Amino acid sequence: MEDWRKSKAAFAIFMAPATFWLLLFFTVPLAIIWVYSFGERGPQGQTELAVSLENYARAVEWIPLKILWKSLWIATISTVICLLLGFPLAMGVAFAPKRWKNPLLLIVILPFWTNLLIRTYAWIAILRISGFLNFGLEWAHGLLDAGFGVIGMPGLMGEFQPLELLYNNSAVIVGLVYVNLPFLVLPLYATLEKLDKSYLEASLDLGAGQWRTFFSVTVPLTMPGIASGVLLAFILSLGTFLTPDLLGGTDSMMIGNLIAQEFGPSRDWPFGSALSFVLMYVTFFVLWLRATVASRSSGVGEAG
Amino acid sequence: MIKMGRSTLSGVTRRNFLMGSAAVGVSLVAGAGRGQAAEEKRVNVYNWDTYIGEQTLGTFNARTGIQVQYDLFANNEELYAKLKEGNPGYDVIFPSDYMVELMITTGVIVPLDHSKLPNLKNIHKNFQNQAYDPGMKYSAPYMWGTMGFGYRKSKFDKAPDSWGAVYDPAQASKYSGKIALLGDQRVVIGSALKYLGYSMNSTDEKQIAAARDLVIAAKKHIKSFAEDNGQDLLLSKEVDIAMEWNGDIVQVMEEDSDLSYVVPKEGSNVWSDNLCIPKDAPHPENAHAFINHVLDAKVNAEIANTIHYATANAAAKPMLLQEDLDNPAVYPPEAIVATCEAIVDVGDNTRLYDEAWTAIQAA
Amino acid sequence: MNAKLETAATAAPTAPIKRRERRNPLDYSSMRWMQIVLAGNFMFLYFPILALVAFSFNDSKRNITWQGFTLKYYEKAWNNIALHDAFMNTMTIATISTLVSTTFGTMLGLAIYRYKFPGKALYDGWIHLPIVIPEICMGVSMLAFFAAMNIPLGIFTITVSHIAFSIPFVAVVVRARMSGFDPSFEEASTDLGANQWQTFWNVTFPYMMPGVVAGALLAFTLSLDDFVITFFTSGPGSTTFPIKIYSMVRFSVTPEVNAASTALIVITLTLTITAMTIQSRSARRQGK
Repeated sequence: MEDWRKSKAAFAIFMAPATFWLLLFFTVPLAIIWVYSFGERGPQGQTELAVSLENYARAVEWIPLKILWKSLWIATISTVICLLLGFPLAMGVAFAPKRWKNPLLLIVILPFWTNLLIRTYAWIAILRISGFLNFGLEWAHGLLDAGFGVIGMPGLMGEFQPLELLYNNSAVIVGLVYVNLPFLVLPLYATLEKLDKSYLEASLDLGAGQWRTFFSVTVPLTMPGIASGVLLAFILSLGTFLTPDLLGGTDSMMIGNLIAQEFGPSRDWPFGSALSFVLMYVTFFVLWLRATVASRSSGVGEAG
Repeated sequence: MIKMGRSTLSGVTRRNFLMGSAAVGVSLVAGAGRGQAAEEKRVNVYNWDTYIGEQTLGTFNARTGIQVQYDLFANNEELYAKLKEGNPGYDVIFPSDYMVELMITTGVIVPLDHSKLPNLKNIHKNFQNQAYDPGMKYSAPYMWGTMGFGYRKSKFDKAPDSWGAVYDPAQASKYSGKIALLGDQRVVIGSALKYLGYSMNSTDEKQIAAARDLVIAAKKHIKSFAEDNGQDLLLSKEVDIAMEWNGDIVQVMEEDSDLSYVVPKEGSNVWSDNLCIPKDAPHPENAHAFINHVLDAKVNAEIANTIHYATANAAAKPMLLQEDLDNPAVYPPEAIVATCEAIVDVGDNTRLYDEAWTAIQAA
Repeated sequence: MNAKLETAATAAPTAPIKRRERRNPLDYSSMRWMQIVLAGNFMFLYFPILALVAFSFNDSKRNITWQGFTLKYYEKAWNNIALHDAFMNTMTIATISTLVSTTFGTMLGLAIYRYKFPGKALYDGWIHLPIVIPEICMGVSMLAFFAAMNIPLGIFTITVSHIAFSIPFVAVVVRARMSGFDPSFEEASTDLGANQWQTFWNVTFPYMMPGVVAGALLAFTLSLDDFVITFFTSGPGSTTFPIKIYSMVRFSVTPEVNAASTALIVITLTLTITAMTIQSRSARRQGK
């Protein structure tokens, strides 16, 4: 019997279903949009096929580029925070006793089975002026104030001023971190879980501290998981439009909002298509950049 | 895939199942099987959520025996996007004014058969010859309303009855950070155009640029371009003044008596929603029966009294709630309505608004 | 072979006794700083959920101020037939989409890990496309495609699209999981006389499993929550839960929406726990 790991037939069987599905139900539809991106908007917002690069020229004008640049920044910051929060979370689940792993995983993913819109509205209820966070702060402020009253310094704390936490870029970042956390945690968990703990023990036995072990053993060994998780969280943040819509201020438009605007109210599908493809090219450029940097910086395992 | 149709427990009928399985192989289903003669007792209605009476569908079913399949959309653009590539099977849709015009020019909706709609006579004469569809050839008017300011009375010495409340720096600075505008390019730029004394549907590049600069200058005082939730921002005291649709403000006025609504004196947007039949509707007969039912004076009054919107139906008036009739947020004074304009599709000039709006967001 | 893997996974409890006395340094879950970090993380995850659950019992039409306890919104949501239909549609689509995309995605992830073939880098980029593409762009493209092919929109087209955008997520996770797999395990297994089929099921597959579970959870979550692509591919009678929610929320978030969401979490959780229990029981009976 031929070894299936070297068999062409087995290769075809493994690849065929997904390849077929993605060809027919993703690539062919996408090709339609690609053709649209060279078209023109008709007076009523129809898509008129043409061979014009005008939409691409518009897409790289100053204002769309500025919005794209801003989106890259917001996506980067939110991904970094996601990683800082997600790594301990993934470790906590992966290093838990075996029978706790799946239940813990469920606990991590459960909040994301609530509708995205509802979750975002819940954040509004927390962050707004009359929200839970400000209620909590006001309560703490009152306690402190009473405390200072007791020791004879009443009014030291002054009047409570609720914080304005919503409708700015920080709120967008909080929202994005929340929305994209599972996309980072799950791949990371899948890699951490298989981490051979004898390596860590060896490192600790040889006298390296926890931090040193973490950075010189755990991180390099789980690089593929980190890379996939960061990739998913970053890309999903980059294309978002609902979070900036609901939590953002007057300057929080991201590239996803602009694309939604073109497919929606402006009814300019060709321009919206061109913008989508520009975003895709930029994303692939970032991926390529990451792969190049990864391969240059001394073989830190396989990336991606 | 066939298994999928069977395992679908509810909400999917035999018909959908057949459609699903037919889709696997052949693509012959689209036009076929939609016989003219005997329509199945069914009508597919596509409407906004909470935009119908509590008894409307039940009484329709009781009167005609036709089953209503009710689906929802959230805005005109989605509705249009869904239908412009071909009708997925809806019989009755509820587009707004400018969308009706757009759908007529692009052939998305078909003319109504007035002989099957005797209740069209109930429509108020003001609505029988709208610019977007004179003579109601394609659309039966449903509800109408305005766009204006919802505001917190205790924070204002007098009602903010001018767009200057947000666009005049001297006035806006008093409410800096307590202002929300709508996240809608045409109405925000439109309101600035109105403040400058132009038409909401201006196609003049200079006028639109002036309106854009006005909004950009006001941005430092504006908290958010609210995605149609300005009423919540008002109610939670996040802002003191919010540009919003009247229906949304009417709802929060019931909850907080300190809130009120005013249409700015420079004029604003007046909108109206309509019942239309899309091209290739599978059940045109039933669609007409449904529209005629909604236009019935009694049925229509029940709808208006449930959703607290102003109806375009004159015959329903005697049965309307007095509190709605007396509420200027539902039925604003006629003199004010006269200054308002409906949004009109501006064709190629949409791009001017699009670019102005993007510039406002990026500024 | 299995034993070796088991040991690796449960290294902490079976560590030498001497070390356990001075606390196992790898037993992170019992370390104070780790517990604090995890507690903070779970607070971040659950604070919004608690907020929305709390408001579902609020006796007010809106989620702004607390007006008293009520169950009436649960009753209202319970009696809302449209909500039931939307819920059933969503569950049907999410279940089928998860099953199909997890199967196909796992096979794909395994194949990409395992085989080298010409144009692999390009192929790799290509399967990332559904993740990269903005949702709205994919939604519009699917709509245009189904319209061009004359395929009627409905549950079928929604499911097809969900499977398409879920496959890459599953493949990425499975592949990340496999990337550190030591093929000598497989060789050892075949050397010991197991045939390829047995080796695959007893060695490779168990190793891959956590990646498959993680991928399936992502696929399920994606399908359950998708609005944009679902909207563009839905037809009459296929309103899903997110579509229903989006149109309800246009008029503000009412406690009824929260009640329905809370019910959805509880039902999904119950179904998942049941499925997990049955699965682990049958696994135990098979002696795995």
